[in-house]
Amino acid sequence: MNALTALLRDPAESQAHRASHRALLALTVAAAFTYGAFMGARDGRWLQALYSGTKVPLLLAVATLLCLPSLFVANAALGLRADFRRALYGVAMSQGSVAVTLASLAPVTQVSYLSVRAYGFALLLNGLMFALASLVGQVVLARHYRPLIARNPRHRFMLRGWLLLYWGVAIQAAWMLRPFIGAARLPTRFLRAASWDNAYVEIGSRLWVWLTGEW
Amino acid sequence: MRVLALEVDRLLRGDTPFLRTAADRHASPMTLVQACLALGAVYGLAMGLYGATNRGAEGLLQLVASTAKVPLLFLATLLVTFPSLYVFSALARSTLAVTATLRLLLAAVTINLAVLASFAPITAFFTLSTTSHPFMVLLSVLFLGVAGLIGLAFVTKCLGIALPARAPAEPAAGPTPTHTPSEGATPIPTAPTRTPPAPDPARRVFAAWIVIYGVVGAQMGWILRPFVGNPELPFEWFRSRDSNFFAGVFTLIGRLFQ
Repeated sequence: MNALTALLRDPAESQAHRASHRALLALTVAAAFTYGAFMGARDGRWLQALYSGTKVPLLLAVATLLCLPSLFVANAALGLRADFRRALYGVAMSQGSVAVTLASLAPVTQVSYLSVRAYGFALLLNGLMFALASLVGQVVLARHYRPLIARNPRHRFMLRGWLLLYWGVAIQAAWMLRPFIGAARLPTRFLRAASWDNAYVEIGSRLWVWLTGEW
Repeated sequence: MRVLALEVDRLLRGDTPFLRTAADRHASPMTLVQACLALGAVYGLAMGLYGATNRGAEGLLQLVASTAKVPLLFLATLLVTFPSLYVFSALARSTLAVTATLRLLLAAVTINLAVLASFAPITAFFTLSTTSHPFMVLLSVLFLGVAGLIGLAFVTKCLGIALPARAPAEPAAGPTPTHTPSEGATPIPTAPTRTPPAPDPARRVFAAWIVIYGVVGAQMGWILRPFVGNPELPFEWFRSRDSNFFAGVFTLIGRLFQ
């Protein structure tokens, strides 16, 4: 509960609530699993619920862990090494807040599934939920970075760099780990057969075709 | 290896006493070259992974070639541009001796390669999840650019320590009154105008050199290519020298979504 309070409150106003690493990790994994399970449990597809429940924490972990070496080296190279632990804590809190926000939206997702059955709607709805949770994550990260930026304005550059790198990797990781919802006409699988391709090339190609009409 | 890691860690922490005293035993040119070789090899390995996963037996050759070529790219560029930098900075009255200049630039290349090595897991991740050759090349160009900018920030910081801005010889006095104030009138005191410290001319030489280093580096990369390895072409240690880096990048952007 202390971890939850620390996640949701502005760090400037709740110095007393500092989450332990274990509690924060457990809360993040549990919350991400909850949303993943709700997200996959469409039309009673329980296996998909289990798969998606596993994949949402995996997505957050993969994207964060892949970018951490760059965050560390860039912090050190810009002379911000002394603040790295605080920056790392901020990143962990932002990941936790994304997971908790998603979990809090899980009932809304489930009720929406019951009212509209179209697959396209489910895709759009979950995209919206993830966008909302990401926005919360950014707000939380910015709150943790505020005192760091006040101390050294170079942290602002690090914050923007981190967001750019993290989202660049997270979008590709999400593309690889799909399906999270699962189309009714396709069999339930942990990963798509053609999941080893590139999100950016795929989106760019579709945009190119749409704009030029050329294949 | 531990000594190299400690040396890189010292540099990353901004611990650069060698800029003030040539007698500092840390960050010797040889140690920095070894660190560059190790860090460059890490990113080279990640770059070559694309060739290794998309070719047969030739893929392993691409892996070996990329691992060797990334550190070579940086060190060869430094070798080509260092003599002219030293001559021009000495002409501009730089207080840095040859060894100190070399250590500073090797330290900057080490930082550049350390940042690049930290991008290795991301490059490897994209390698395993994409088949697009143009995408992988452009991703590496982007990472090389970002790492270069961070290396540049390091050089700028070090130059601020090693070549501090020169204070003017004496503060310029305020405008001299052209007439003698009449008796009884209170003269208006004029505060001496403060001239901002003049940047050391040697720093301008370094700034120009950084641009030259970037352009030479880009062209050196073009000469030493392939680093990623186009799976549609046979493996070669070096490709033919037609075209140039910038034309190559524009061609790849055009091919990316087709």
